[in-house]
Amino acid sequence: MRQLTLNLRPERTPRFDNFVVGANREALDSVRLLACYGQPQAIYLWGEAGSGRSHLLQAAVADARANGRAAELAKQPGSDGDYPLPPGGLLCLDAADSLDAAGQAALFRSFIRAPGQACSLLIGGDAPPASLRLREDVRTRIGQCLVFELKPLDDGHKGEMLALYGLSRGLMLEPDLISWLLRHGRRDLPSLLAAIDTLDEASLARHRPPTLPLLRELMQGNLLPPEAS
Amino acid sequence: MSNEFWSTCLSRLEAELPQQQFNTWIRALSASPTADPRSLELLAPNRFVLQWVRERYLRRIEEIGHDHFGEPVQVTLAIGNTPRPAAVKANTAPAMPKPTPGPANAPAAPAIAKGREDSQTQSRASSESSESAAYERTRLNRDFTFDSLVTGRANDLARAAAMQVAQNPGTSYNPLFVYGGVGLGKTHLIHALGNAVWKQNPKAVIRYVHAEDYYADVVRAYQQKSFDQFKRYYRSLDLLLIDDIQFFNNKNRTQEEFFHAFNALTEARKQIVITCDTYPKDVTGLEDRLISRFDWGLTVQIEPPELEMRVAILKKKAEVERILLTDDVAFLIAKNLRSNVRELEGALKKVLAFARFHGRDISLELAKEALRDLLAAHNRQITFELIQKTVSDYYKIKVSDMHSKKRTRAIARPRQVAMFLAKELTPSSLPSIGEAFGGRDHTTVLHACRTIAELRLADQQLNHDLHVLTQTLRS
Repeated sequence: MRQLTLNLRPERTPRFDNFVVGANREALDSVRLLACYGQPQAIYLWGEAGSGRSHLLQAAVADARANGRAAELAKQPGSDGDYPLPPGGLLCLDAADSLDAAGQAALFRSFIRAPGQACSLLIGGDAPPASLRLREDVRTRIGQCLVFELKPLDDGHKGEMLALYGLSRGLMLEPDLISWLLRHGRRDLPSLLAAIDTLDEASLARHRPPTLPLLRELMQGNLLPPEAS
Repeated sequence: MSNEFWSTCLSRLEAELPQQQFNTWIRALSASPTADPRSLELLAPNRFVLQWVRERYLRRIEEIGHDHFGEPVQVTLAIGNTPRPAAVKANTAPAMPKPTPGPANAPAAPAIAKGREDSQTQSRASSESSESAAYERTRLNRDFTFDSLVTGRANDLARAAAMQVAQNPGTSYNPLFVYGGVGLGKTHLIHALGNAVWKQNPKAVIRYVHAEDYYADVVRAYQQKSFDQFKRYYRSLDLLLIDDIQFFNNKNRTQEEFFHAFNALTEARKQIVITCDTYPKDVTGLEDRLISRFDWGLTVQIEPPELEMRVAILKKKAEVERILLTDDVAFLIAKNLRSNVRELEGALKKVLAFARFHGRDISLELAKEALRDLLAAHNRQITFELIQKTVSDYYKIKVSDMHSKKRTRAIARPRQVAMFLAKELTPSSLPSIGEAFGGRDHTTVLHACRTIAELRLADQQLNHDLHVLTQTLRS
């Protein structure tokens, strides 16, 4: 008998202390510094999907606010065509690589106005500044930031990340299960996390513990979500 | 332990550490009074600072203690309420409101720390405060001065013109029109001009405004029906510095307002300085009557800095950070990042941050390590094939002519241009460039580069071609 599951998941709030740092210690420390003190004034983080960009951006917003600084995670320019620049605060903007013309114009103005507002900038993208297909005056300003590549996690760190992720959902994942998943599944982080989500849901629905046999069954039966592109 | 020891520590560390590090980490600490003369308890504002100081500075503080007392001292760290560092105060102070036209809407003076000053001090503070507020209204950046501007062949004419205008605003060249590619120092130059005028005459009414902000002012004036105030304000200036005027394209009302402001200011012999990313006649979407006025004064170009100048820029920037940058490291960065000063600065920041993070001295090895990703990303950008194709298309010759033995001028000159660009825009060796151009000798490449470098000084058309080709290849 299958148990229907409610779509309620414990929220996993991105914070600095639940970021699996891997080889990104320098980037993490610099972003913490920026969130807490606004120094350096601007950082650009780039890395492939699942490298932790969004996590760090959200964590920076939370940390800045906890330190009494106003912080915004901007998605689209506001009705005035600009991103918010909280005075003395922090503006975070992800996916700079795919900004449209209006977004690029808004980011350009943010670069010009941020120093006057004592507002720091944390920008994320999927490519190094030199490869960004953006307006040259925007691209070079991104290149002027302190730039970090977020390096992908190695298997050891991915395992740690999955174990932490499992814990945040109340799952004690066996090391064997994690290493099996890393050997047999698609190894980018979004796919790995999606596999744990599916395992969790199947475990609840079927009243079975989230063990390796269940994971195997799910993978053999193609019940895991399609591979992230 | 006495506060005297902590004061000693502060002055020693201030002398030893870069300003930013000192302000962030050390000034954030305060000494807690303790009874034991052989111990010092330092209070950090949060766990992050505490951990950082423990890992990086604790040993040094203990060493200073040992020097000071001639015996080991115990230094402990704890979290406690401490005053925030001065640099942070500056950053988190209420920021100025968005630029608004008109003295009536001018931002209030920044808050000045109030202590137990006597009335004389208060009056001095008040005068300083009003001067500081007047300076804030100029929107100038104090760090951008002629002294901090590195000069080279790329910008010496522009710099000389700007200095002359600064000495005789309104009478030498009006307007001064500075143009050049992205990130070459146009903004620095006009801020330097503004700061020089301010230094000579702090009563001068100066305003630096980016074209985007001028446009926003026009929109605001329109929405608030305050055009009279807007006009009064911009016409009251002694010096208007307007940056990136290409952003006026197709903004008709903004151009209209600027046209009238321009006329009023020049008639009153008030100085206007304009920057743009291209030559006035090439700006698109600008009214002819405006473009023709840009020709009234002097038009000067800023070109991309050559290698030596890039090295000098890096050393100057490092000096500001109180870091000694050796020639080999400066050359490494300057040789690999050629496009503009901004990315050069980004690379330098990266090296400094890497050295600080790992607690290592800056060396060639460290710089290579710090810039590994960045250099790889840059170097794979522009290839010989791309240069050859772009130049061939531009001069309407065949790509195969880049490799051929033909020596007619119509083919040889573009080929020389392409070799010159290959040397400027890639880190490849001259033999490998020669190889890519039909197996030519490296001396041929050298000859081509020298020829083009000399010709561009006298031949404006060639200079323009190189400018356009460089921009095309980089975009």
